[in-house]
Formats: sequence, structure tokens, C-alpha cells
Amino acid sequence: MKIVRVSNLQKAYGGNNVLRGIDFTANAGEIIGVIGKNGAGKSTFLEILMTLNPYDNGIVAVLGSELNTLTANQIEQIRRDISVVLQPTQFYKTLKVVELLKLFKAYYNSPVDIEQIIFDFKLQPHRKKYFDKLSGGWKQIVSLAIAFLSEPKLLILDEPTTGLDPHMRNMLWTYISEYNKRTGGTVILTTHNMDEVELYCDKVMLLNNGVTEVFDSTEGILSNGYKSINDFYLSKVSI
Amino acid sequence: MLLTQLKYDLLMFTREIFYLVFTIIVPPVTYLFMGQLFGNATYTGNLSYAETYTPSFILLITFGVVFFAFGFDQVMNRTTGVEKRIILSPVPKRTLLLSNILKSIIITSLGYFLVFFIGMIAYDLSFLPFNFILAFGTFILLNAALLIISSAIYSLFTSMNGALVFSIVIFQVVMFTGGFTMPIPMMPKFVQVIADFNPVYHMNQLFIAVWNGQLEWNAATLKSIGFIVLVTAVSLLVLRFGNSPRKSFFKWYPTNRGRGGDMGNESYTGH
Repeated sequence: MKIVRVSNLQKAYGGNNVLRGIDFTANAGEIIGVIGKNGAGKSTFLEILMTLNPYDNGIVAVLGSELNTLTANQIEQIRRDISVVLQPTQFYKTLKVVELLKLFKAYYNSPVDIEQIIFDFKLQPHRKKYFDKLSGGWKQIVSLAIAFLSEPKLLILDEPTTGLDPHMRNMLWTYISEYNKRTGGTVILTTHNMDEVELYCDKVMLLNNGVTEVFDSTEGILSNGYKSINDFYLSKVSI
Repeated sequence: MLLTQLKYDLLMFTREIFYLVFTIIVPPVTYLFMGQLFGNATYTGNLSYAETYTPSFILLITFGVVFFAFGFDQVMNRTTGVEKRIILSPVPKRTLLLSNILKSIIITSLGYFLVFFIGMIAYDLSFLPFNFILAFGTFILLNAALLIISSAIYSLFTSMNGALVFSIVIFQVVMFTGGFTMPIPMMPKFVQVIADFNPVYHMNQLFIAVWNGQLEWNAATLKSIGFIVLVTAVSLLVLRFGNSPRKSFFKWYPTNRGRGGDMGNESYTGH
């Protein structure tokens, strides 16, 4: 089942053509890494999929609905099935972790048990801490826990592991992989860490100058003779 | 969902020292302090200190709450990225807006009763049921006008620092030119001129008159009402047509596509 279908997507900010024809598909249960150098249009692409940003031309169908044709109410419905982790992660700074979870549970009308989420994400020591007082890594974990509250069909992560230490990175990826296996949910993420892409992603899309330069499975890319995804990236992308 | 949002909105207000100081602490303390200095004076309309300054300080609290906890809060959430994360969840924008309005009304109403209570205890302020109801109705109308004006002004800010400096400066300007300290006729000429262009000053004059049952439909009253209506109308136009970052943020797909509507029309002005 196709969760996302993008064809000839174009987006400009003023005279700056950021996306100049993106083609992309994501099927149920896939983990897809979107890579490219800074300014390649990765975040713009994700924000369009998140329903946060309009686009100029092309087709963007998320969960079977073309975004450009939806009413505000329909967009709100689509958002019930999408969860996101933004970079940087920000929530109400004067709410405690457990309060944030309760608030977002209400937003998503989620049946998920807050205590279970706190247990699953090892948040017990932080449940009474203000979000603003958490370290960057724990902010990301809380953000992911909130994202999972809705049991989303599509999870979009914008550089989720940036700035995290190896333990935190490992923890985050464990949750993402478990979620993917347990629910069959689709994960689309951007990252600059090519090892993560190689380890965890089923497919890779390389954005270069606003177009899809490569969109293939991780194995497919490696079978072309590249020693690693990092090697592939360095050979394809110049400074 | 509305009650949950309202509960957390109120909780967040109580945890912001900055908001508490400028809304719930400074005005009542100033009310008491000024009363110690000028408690025996007689003011325009042969009114006592309490009759003049009780409605004034209720209005000052309202102004503080609406400008800090409603307006400035919008800028803070917008510039820190909180708003971006919230709008990506399926919470109806009307719920967020309504919760914010209710939050402001609840807090300002508490301020109303707090100052009224202090007035009764410290200055023997009398309770007249009819005047009280009329004054509370006027207070709600003024609250609505201030919410619109505040929302329009803060929709123009793109930086939190700018909004913070503005908030602190405007609080001082309103304190001195709104008639909350010394009577405006006793102030220098330039302050009197500024006061004429300060909608909160006009609100204050009207509120004092209604509070004391002295409202007369004369030129001064019509001028005050006209000015408040004008500023409110301009604010509505700014909110409707202003190309603010907040507005564009909610503009999902352009209305000229003829479908889908404009998220901006649902004007989420809160968190």
C-alpha cells in the first residue's frame, strides 16, 4: 500500500527554486532516509509531506489524498495519521513531561496509556521535569514518545539524531525500529549520518539541487559497488 | 479537549513569573500604594480614590493579562517553534483560540474580583448589584476589544526580543498615559496629547463612568467610544489582511485555488 506518492514536486521561495521536480514513493512499513547537503531542500520536502508547507506544482498524495485538493478540515483529519519530530524540538516550556503527554493524548484522542509510554521510553525519572529543563537527547526522546502517542501510519523525522550522543542515538533508533516492526508504520527521515541510513533505512533518496538524483533501496545502492552509503554520498555530492 | 487545553493554558500562566508579576502582583500593589498616598483625595466627578482607581486597576490588570499572556505568548510560541509543532497535531484551531480567550477572561475576572475585594477591605468600597453587573458587562466588552487589539499588534512581531521590549515599554506608557497613576489633567501637556491617542485611556474613562453610574452620552463619551471602535476595527483589518508570519503560517493552501479554504481564516491566535 502506497502511503506517500510524489510526482514532479516543485516549490520555490520567491525566485529560489528549492524543489525542481521530486519523484518519490513510500510504501507501508518502509523506513526511508532522505539525504543531501545543507540547502538541498530536504526540510522543505518533509514540511510539504507534513502538511505544513504548500507547494507550487506536481502531485503530493499522502495516505491516498492529494494535499492540494484538501479542505482545512480534511488536512486536520490527515494529521491524525501523521506524527512528526521537528528539528529543533520545541514544546510548551512550562509544562512537565507527563503533562505534555496528557495534552497531546487529548489532541490525538489517543487510547494509548500514558504510563505505558512513560515506561516504554524510560521517562520515569523525567516525568516531573519541565520540558525546557531536559537535555537535547531527552527532548528528542519525549518528542518521539509524543509522536508515538497517536500510533501514526506515517512518522516524519527531521534530523532526529542531530546533536545526540551515541547512547541516545541508539535508544532513539531502537524505538523507531520497534515502532516500525510492531505497527507496520512508515518512517521518512532526514539525516546527515550515513551510518544510520545504512543500518536502519530500507530505501534512500538523494536530493541534489532540488531534484531526485537517486532513489533506490539501500542494498541496491551498495550493490553498485559502493563500500558504504557514506562512500556513495561522498562520490555523488560535491561541496 | 477544550477543558484539557484550558486547564493547561491556565497552568502555564501560573508558572510564568513574568506574567504573574506584571498582571496579578504589580497592579494590586500599586493600587494599595497609591491609595496610601492619595486615598483621601477627591477626583473628577466628586469621586473618591477607590471609586476612581478600582475600575482603573481592574482595567490595568486586564491590559496586562491580554497583552502579556495572550499577545506576547503568541509571539513566544511562534518564534520558538512551539506553534509549528502544535498546528501539526489535529487539534482544531478554534479550540486553541477559544481556550486562549477563556483563559484571558478567567484571569482578568479574577483580577477584577481581587481588586474589588481589596477596595472593599481597604477603602470601604460599596457593592451595588446593578452597577456591579453593568460594570462587569462593560469589562467583558473592553476585554474583547483589548484581545483583538493585542492580537493584531503582536501578529506583527517576528522576534521575541522585539516583542518583549515592546511589552515592557507599552506597559509603562499605558500606566502613565492611561490615567492609572496621576489624573491625566494634572500631567504635562505632551502626556495629555499622548493619552488622547491611547485607547486604554478612553477605556479607563468609560469604565470609571460606568462603574460609578455616571455615564453620560456627551461628546467626550462618544469620542471615547468612537476611538475604541476605530482602533478595534483597524486591528480586525490588520488581522484579516495583514501579511504577518503567523497568518501566513496558517495559510495552508491559497484561497485562489478555490478549494480547501484558508487555515488563516480559522485564525489560531494562541499557543
